Amino acid sequence: MKQELYRVVYCSRVRLSGPPAGIVGHLRHILATSRRNNVRADISGALLFANNCFAQTLEGPRVEVERCFERIQNDPRHSDVTVLEFGPASAREFPKWSMGFAGEPGAAHDPLAFVVFEGAFAGERPESGSAVLGLLHGLVRREEAWALA
Amino acid sequence: MLRAALLGLADGVILFDPGLRLILCNAAARHRLGWVGAPPRRGLTLASWLDHAGGLDPAERSVIREHCAALLAGDAAPAPGRDSAAAEKDLAFGDFTLRLRRLDGQGIMISLATGGDDGEAALRDPLTGLGNRRAFQAALAAALARAESEAALLLLDLDRFKHVNDSLGHPVGDALLRLVAQRLRASLRAGDTLVRLGGDEFAILLPRAEGAEPLAERLVDLLSRPYLVEGHLANIGVSIGIARAPADATEGGMLLRRADLALYAAKAAGRRQFCRFRPEMDARAQARQALETDLRRAVALGQFHLYYQPLLEVASGAVIGFEALLRWAHPTRGMVSPTEFIPLAEEVGLIVPIGEWVLRQACRAAASWPETVLVAVNVSPVQFADGARLLRAVDEALAGAGLSGMRLEIEITESVLLHDAAETLAILHDLRGRGVRIAMDDFGTGYSSLSQLRSFPFDKIKIDRSFVSEIEGQSGGKAVVRAIAALGASLGMTVTVEGVETEAQAHFVASSGGHQMQGYLISRPVPADDVAALLARLPARTARLSHETRDGI
Repeated sequence: MKQELYRVVYCSRVRLSGPPAGIVGHLRHILATSRRNNVRADISGALLFANNCFAQTLEGPRVEVERCFERIQNDPRHSDVTVLEFGPASAREFPKWSMGFAGEPGAAHDPLAFVVFEGAFAGERPESGSAVLGLLHGLVRREEAWALA
Repeated sequence: MLRAALLGLADGVILFDPGLRLILCNAAARHRLGWVGAPPRRGLTLASWLDHAGGLDPAERSVIREHCAALLAGDAAPAPGRDSAAAEKDLAFGDFTLRLRRLDGQGIMISLATGGDDGEAALRDPLTGLGNRRAFQAALAAALARAESEAALLLLDLDRFKHVNDSLGHPVGDALLRLVAQRLRASLRAGDTLVRLGGDEFAILLPRAEGAEPLAERLVDLLSRPYLVEGHLANIGVSIGIARAPADATEGGMLLRRADLALYAAKAAGRRQFCRFRPEMDARAQARQALETDLRRAVALGQFHLYYQPLLEVASGAVIGFEALLRWAHPTRGMVSPTEFIPLAEEVGLIVPIGEWVLRQACRAAASWPETVLVAVNVSPVQFADGARLLRAVDEALAGAGLSGMRLEIEITESVLLHDAAETLAILHDLRGRGVRIAMDDFGTGYSSLSQLRSFPFDKIKIDRSFVSEIEGQSGGKAVVRAIAALGASLGMTVTVEGVETEAQAHFVASSGGHQMQGYLISRPVPADDVAALLARLPARTARLSHETRDGI
């Protein structure tokens, strides 16, 4: 029997220091590792980096999502993890992305991203989960457009 | 050959000669008994061998000593019909078993468990796979084997775990504990010892004195991160107490106690943090201990006294009752403030006998007053935990004094209703059934006051003194008193204002609809012997008490 699909959306603060190029290197490394792990675990999702914060969504079988989230929790490179949404999902929002990466440090800050992050850390508002999801969608689409260009 | 075979055995085996000197002790036995120090030499006495068995506690050691001696003397009680029973004795210690066997003329063989993983399992927590309390004791003894040994002990207690366990269920709670164990394990270095002491308590022993604080800081952050477990989101935290050897203690038991004091401090400071042991914590713990010792004696030594403060009816200016207030006169401490000893008495459960004494004493005193005057007694939330006992105490106090239940008023604080509200309400209704009045004390200082007022038909609400002291200021004291008075009136409850100290306050209380007042302006609390004189100065009310005509309405 196919396992039930679950989704988690969370934000966290990044604890990476150094020049932007170095940080991008770190992020690419993190991403490469998680892509490898996630394909194997049937997990898709997207990762956004902005204003020194991560926003990430993971979707897949419940046990795999929980396991992946736990692995991420043990990572000292971020802190202040706030879960915005966790529960069963009817369909994948990011089916193609074994792990998308949206947003570059040093690029112009997206004011909407900032608002969402502030809101998420100020107090877990119920709409934050879908707001982050929407934001990730927008950025992923833009990234796809860049990739095609 | 035999020796080599025994040494290599997976089961723990120890051999002593007839003089109880060690012949051999294999690695499995050392491992399972939490061996401390270098492998034992041949010829070691039983007593010093036992001293190295860190996994055994002193009581277990002396039991083993006694039985070995008894077996050798051949006077172990023989079981009927089994000759060999006289030569064998099984000792079950909690989670593992030692078998002592007399070898004819050859001494004694001690074997551990019955093979398989039992010996290993005895040191393991089955839920998390971490070491258990027994393993911890062994590790602690080993770490502090020498006086100059350096070590750091971190005691961890999860915050809010019980809440998660209760609301999401035990299977989720168990899965959460496994995740906690994983996160802890991932944060440690080789050589560190991690155990689950039981429930939601863990301990970490570092073989070095430094580095405990950065680790504790990391763990507070790491364990506070959210958990996704069995389809649920769970948020818990951790409080950590740290003690170090040799700076804080050189002996295991003391190190553990001091880490525990530090843990207590971390929790008292608001949880989700770590605290290092400081010498003043010991002093504080000792002071508490001394206070508790004195408190236990106080009732028997007659050091408690009740003082009585009059309740004045605003409309008539008559005294309608007295609130009984507990005073503790200690020969060397002097007058100890209730704010100092009541919380301790509640914590250690002494409030129950003390509260019963207060009830008896207050009812006896009231029996000598005019029949129109009632007595109000404060009852602690802790007393409500055993409702049957409280009701019995009230019955006995009333019967012993020959006092009608109508003349007793029980004052409770809002916190009484926070725990097991249904049970508490049932007790309140039972008290009501005896004619006893129920007053809500310190109103306005607790939680969800209004919803609680609706949960039970209180006879009276007492507005907390903090609002009264603000009546003359610019802050909201006036508005609060007016609003509560109006609320009380609409719910048919008597409203009493506490802490009235000035004419202006008294005037305001009267003009805003308060029914009764209490405070230094009318009288300080007085000893029982002075109540008669006070009633000669202030008139007692004349109307008889009843539930139908509420005071001042």
